[in-house]
Amino acid sequence: MTAHIVEMENVNKRYGEVVALDDVTLGVDRGEHVVIIGSSGSGKSTLLRCINHLEAIDSGAITINGSPLAETSDGRVRYRREAEIRKLIMQTAMVFQHFNLFGHLTCLDNITIAPIEIQKENPREAKERAMDLLRLVGLEKKAKVYPGQLSGGQKQRVAIARALAIRPSVLLFDEPTSALDPEITGEVLKVIRDLAAKGYTMMLVTHEMGFAREVANRVVFMDNGRIIEEGRPDRIFDSPASERLGMFLKAVI
Amino acid sequence: MNLSYDYVVTLWPALMRGLGETLSIFFLTLVFSLPLGLVFALGSISRFRPFRILCRIYVWLFRGTPLMLQLFFFYYGLGIMANQSGLLFLRLARFPAVVITFALNYAAYFAEIYRAGIQSIDRGQYEAAKTLGFSRSRTMFRIIIPQTIRRIIPPVSNETITLVKDTALANVIAVPELLKVAKDASNRDTTTTAYFLAAMGYLAITFVLTVVYQKLEKRFSRHEQEAV
Repeated sequence: MTAHIVEMENVNKRYGEVVALDDVTLGVDRGEHVVIIGSSGSGKSTLLRCINHLEAIDSGAITINGSPLAETSDGRVRYRREAEIRKLIMQTAMVFQHFNLFGHLTCLDNITIAPIEIQKENPREAKERAMDLLRLVGLEKKAKVYPGQLSGGQKQRVAIARALAIRPSVLLFDEPTSALDPEITGEVLKVIRDLAAKGYTMMLVTHEMGFAREVANRVVFMDNGRIIEEGRPDRIFDSPASERLGMFLKAVI
Repeated sequence: MNLSYDYVVTLWPALMRGLGETLSIFFLTLVFSLPLGLVFALGSISRFRPFRILCRIYVWLFRGTPLMLQLFFFYYGLGIMANQSGLLFLRLARFPAVVITFALNYAAYFAEIYRAGIQSIDRGQYEAAKTLGFSRSRTMFRIIIPQTIRRIIPPVSNETITLVKDTALANVIAVPELLKVAKDASNRDTTTTAYFLAAMGYLAITFVLTVVYQKLEKRFSRHEQEAV
C-alpha cells in the first residue's frame, strides 16, 4: 500500500435526500497539488470538509498519514475518539472561503494561538515562526493589527499563514478566492503558487480555471457527488473524456 | 419639600446607610449572577439533553414569574416550609433572602443575553478553531466567548441598570435599603424630601454605571475598528 497523505475510499455522504458524495475514492501523495473542479453543489467543498471532519461521512473510509480517521465495517461507519480526531485533523489545515480569522486576536495571535495553546510550542519560538510566516505572505507589517482592519486579500493571506503555523501535512483550500474582489485574487493566488513551488502538499477547490491548470499536478472533476474524471491538467482541460466535463469547461471558460 | 441644610443633615446618616445597603444588594447580586448566568447559558446550548432542558426550565421559571413573588417565596415561603418540616436551615434572614433571590433571577436574564451573544457568532469561527485542533470547550472559552463580550455589553448594561432600581423591591420584606429608609423618613416627617434625595441616589448610581459601560464598550471594540 502506498503511503498517501490523504486517502478516501468509497466515501458516501448525503444531506437528507441530497447525495453530496457518491462513492468517492481519492488518494493524495506527498507534494501533490490536487485541484478539484466542478459546478456548485457538485460535492467538491464537501469532499474537503470531510477530510478534516467538518462534515461526518455516512460510509467509506478516510485515512490521514496512514491513520484511519473513519472506517466502515459491517455497514457502520466508525470514527476515532474525539481527542484522536483532533490530533489527526491537525495534520490537515483548512483555508476557508470566508477566512474565518479570529476577530478578537491580532494577526500574530491568530497565527500563534494553535501552536502555543494546542501544540504547546515555546511562545517565543512560535512568535518568531509566525513572523516568518507573515513575511512569507508579505504581511509582516500587520502583525499587531486586528483582522477587521485588513482587506479581504490580506485576511486570506493571514489565514494561509495561520494554516501553515500548525505544520500540516496537507493544506486544504476551500474556494480561497471566491469571496474576494477580482482585482485582489491575484495576491492570494500568488501566495498559493509560491507554496506549491515550495513543494507543499495541497488540495484546492476553485473556480479559477486558469490557476487550476497552472498549479495542479492533477485535476479532479466532480459532478453530482461523483468523481467523473481525473488526470493531468493539460489532459483534463484540452481533451475531456466525458461529455459532462466538456460541457462544464465550455460553460466556465 | 424641605431642602434646608439642617433637615438634610439629619436625614443624611440614615440615607447613607440605606444607600450602602442598596449597593451591597446590587454588587452581591452581580457577583453571583454574572457567572451563574454563564453556567445556565452554556447549559441551555449543551449537547447533553437533560442538562439543556433543566437550564431552559430554570430560565423560564425565573423570567416567567414576578421578582416580588420570588422574593416572597424565598423569604416567607421557605420560612413557612422550614417551620412545617423542621428543616430550619431553610429559613433565610432578610438580606441573604434578597441576595439569593436577585442572584437567581438575574442569572436567568444574563443567561439569555449570553446565549444570544454566543449564538450570534459565525459558524466559521467554530470551524476554524476545530481545524486548528481546538476542543469544544477551548473553542468556547478562547474563541467564542471573548468575541461575544462586546456584543453583550449593551444588553448587560441595560439589565444592570434595571437591577439598581429592582433593589428597591427589597423594602417589601423590610430590608433597610435606600427606598425603605426614605419611606420611613417621609412617613415620620410628612415631607417628600427623603424621596427626592433617594431619587438622587439612584440617579447617581445609574449615571456612574452608564459611564463605566461606555468605557467598557469602547475598550472591547478596539479590534472592531475599520480599515483606515
